[in-house]
Amino acid sequence: MTTDRSFLTKLSGLGSAPRRYFKKELLPLLADLRLAIVLLLAIAVFSISGTVIEQGQSLSFYQANYPEHPALFGFLTWKVLLIAGFDHVYRTWWYLALLILFGSSLTACTFVRQLPALRWFTRNTSKFYTQPRQFQKFALSAEFDSASLDEAISLLEKRRYRVFRSGETIYARKGIIGRIGPIVVHVSMMLILIGGIIGAMTGFIAQEVAPSGSTFLIKNIVDAGPWAEPQFPKDWAVKVNRFWIDYLPTGEIDQFYSDLSVLDNDGKEVDRKTIHVNEPLKHNGVTLYQADWSIAAVQVKLNKSPVLQFPMAKLDAVGSRVWGTWIPLKSDLSDGVSLIARDLQGLLLIYDTDGKLISTVRKGMSVQVKGVTLAIADIIGSTGLQIKADPGIPIVYLGFGLLMISTMMSYVSHSQIWALQKDGKFYIGGNTNRAQVVFEREFLELLDQIGEQQQTLDSNIQLAKV
Amino acid sequence: MDLVALQGILDNLSFAVLFVTMLVYWTGAAFPQIPYLPALGMAGMAIANLCIATLLGARWLEAGYFPLSNLYESLFFLVWGITTIHLFAENMSGSRLVGVVTTPVAMAITAFAALTLPDGMQASAPLVPALKSNWLMMHVSVMMLSYATLMVGALLAIAFLVVTRGQNVELRGSSVGTGAYRDKAYRLTRSSESKVPLTTVAIQSGGTAVLSAPTQAISLSPQRLNLADTLDNISYRIIGLGFPLLTIGIIAGAVWANEAWGSYWSWDPKETWAMITWLVFAAYLHSRITKGWQGRRPAILAATGFVVVWVCYLGVNLLGKGLHSYGWFL
Repeated sequence: MTTDRSFLTKLSGLGSAPRRYFKKELLPLLADLRLAIVLLLAIAVFSISGTVIEQGQSLSFYQANYPEHPALFGFLTWKVLLIAGFDHVYRTWWYLALLILFGSSLTACTFVRQLPALRWFTRNTSKFYTQPRQFQKFALSAEFDSASLDEAISLLEKRRYRVFRSGETIYARKGIIGRIGPIVVHVSMMLILIGGIIGAMTGFIAQEVAPSGSTFLIKNIVDAGPWAEPQFPKDWAVKVNRFWIDYLPTGEIDQFYSDLSVLDNDGKEVDRKTIHVNEPLKHNGVTLYQADWSIAAVQVKLNKSPVLQFPMAKLDAVGSRVWGTWIPLKSDLSDGVSLIARDLQGLLLIYDTDGKLISTVRKGMSVQVKGVTLAIADIIGSTGLQIKADPGIPIVYLGFGLLMISTMMSYVSHSQIWALQKDGKFYIGGNTNRAQVVFEREFLELLDQIGEQQQTLDSNIQLAKV
Repeated sequence: MDLVALQGILDNLSFAVLFVTMLVYWTGAAFPQIPYLPALGMAGMAIANLCIATLLGARWLEAGYFPLSNLYESLFFLVWGITTIHLFAENMSGSRLVGVVTTPVAMAITAFAALTLPDGMQASAPLVPALKSNWLMMHVSVMMLSYATLMVGALLAIAFLVVTRGQNVELRGSSVGTGAYRDKAYRLTRSSESKVPLTTVAIQSGGTAVLSAPTQAISLSPQRLNLADTLDNISYRIIGLGFPLLTIGIIAGAVWANEAWGSYWSWDPKETWAMITWLVFAAYLHSRITKGWQGRRPAILAATGFVVVWVCYLGVNLLGKGLHSYGWFL
């Protein structure tokens, strides 16, 4: 039996070894403040690299800017740069590892240091000082020959202290919110990290370019987390009722607008909104943002033809965005003109087959080209939409809200004052955790007031004697 | 009165006032016995603050939106923030040394904005579509205020480093309240060592009755903060104020970006640098409560923060990328 038992304890000891390692070694290391500081600074330093080196460029870009001879700083060639992942710093394994380590440190610190600090509030009762020597440790303390505890209480309460009394000793405090602040800061940072991870795992980003009047399903997913599948919209489509741009009198763009409808499987409209930059449409946890635009097609009439629609394609042009199409002017397609548009303001440029500018025409007008009347019925724009679902947002926003409040709470300084009346003497001492300078002034003023009272008290006694 | 002409007068006036104020503070630090200088310095700062507030108000009236659309306006908003925080810090500390470090920076920024910046860049410009949002005012103004606050805090840390050069100091003030207790040397001191005889004050302000002086002696007396302690603590308090402002500013920007473009964080260089600034000052706040890191090290971190804030504010724009451009160099 005895051997059995010792064997069992050994076995359970083996099983608990990793747990003990976690509790005794790993947790204190992670919760170590010095590690936290080093991590904060390390993340800062590595983040700088991503702002100095251009991110997400092509191979040829890095080859041109970071040549092997001469190497930048003697080592930073494009090969080193690409192997270390400096072309996408914020997605490299080492940067993510730093963030994970930071998250672990934050979590450990929250549970090992911050939350246990709440225990402070439960041991309030033993806060009274009953021995004069206890006042000697304070930098700010004083003793008076005679002063009244009641007067001190009223002075402290006038200064908005919360005063507790037990017999001949008092404990007063204010700004306790400043003690809770840092705890909430750490919890809200954790919430933001958790929300960010949920977003990265279950969210997706899609992009769609759709002409006015068309209906599309959200299909072009450009980035999605491993568990994003349930977020993809399957039972609804989006119809672009109209896309247009408002221009300023100077010709600059004022704002882009898309009038969007959400259609269910039967094509019935379930939601409708005109979106613009800074004003997206939200439906079923998916948000559609106005992000880009393009020209989809031009509608023309040739002589007495019905309205014909020609798709326009984006042309490679340096420095500006240009769209073009080719319109045949003869039935055997042996001759035609090119139509070029720069924007949706309605002006089109007409080029002949030799690439020579022949004429210009506005929307709703017509022009004679090579004996054919070319009338422009409309220019169809298409809207570029950024589509996103991020289930982590509510958690991140909760973290944001708490973080804003708690960092402000953390500004408040927690001040504590103790006083004791014993053997005909009055002792007072106090401290604060942050605002030393302001507290010192307040404490000295308090001492002055107590001193004055003592003065009048003494003079009254003197007068009474006389 | 013509608003444009008024602005032209006000920006030069605030430069002149700040220049004189700087000289007043420096003279006051060199010859502390000269009277009225501290009051004069404070008055100068207040006048400069009001001049800039009027200048920005005039531009707001003229353009019809919050005056933070270009570099000129943002520089003046920054100086307004610095002078405001200066007055706050000076009032809190009662130390005239605050002005010695804040005035040169405020004066230099004003000089750059009013004298060096070409006229074309001083004129107010229309906002681009992305910035037409109420979030602009919230995000940008809070960010600028946090820059101003952190700069003043960092400057005070630099002043602390200068005052304590070659010394070994322990810090007072942190979230756990280090330094609120007596130095060891004082732990057992009694009446003989009382540094500030508070009773005498109390006695002097005493009653009118004929009295013999009361024979009360304070045998336990307060141990006062010295100049280095004061500078360090005010620097800590001001950074402690700038940190929540920076947090709120970054979050306002993140929420705005999420509502407008669908992503609360996109590693834009300005965004990243705001995070770097946040991390550096977070490290500063943590270093104050770390054993072995106290003393001058946190102040060195805070002083580094001064450079980091400037890179975040202007340096990033030299890269000329992203949404946060002032139309400078590009």
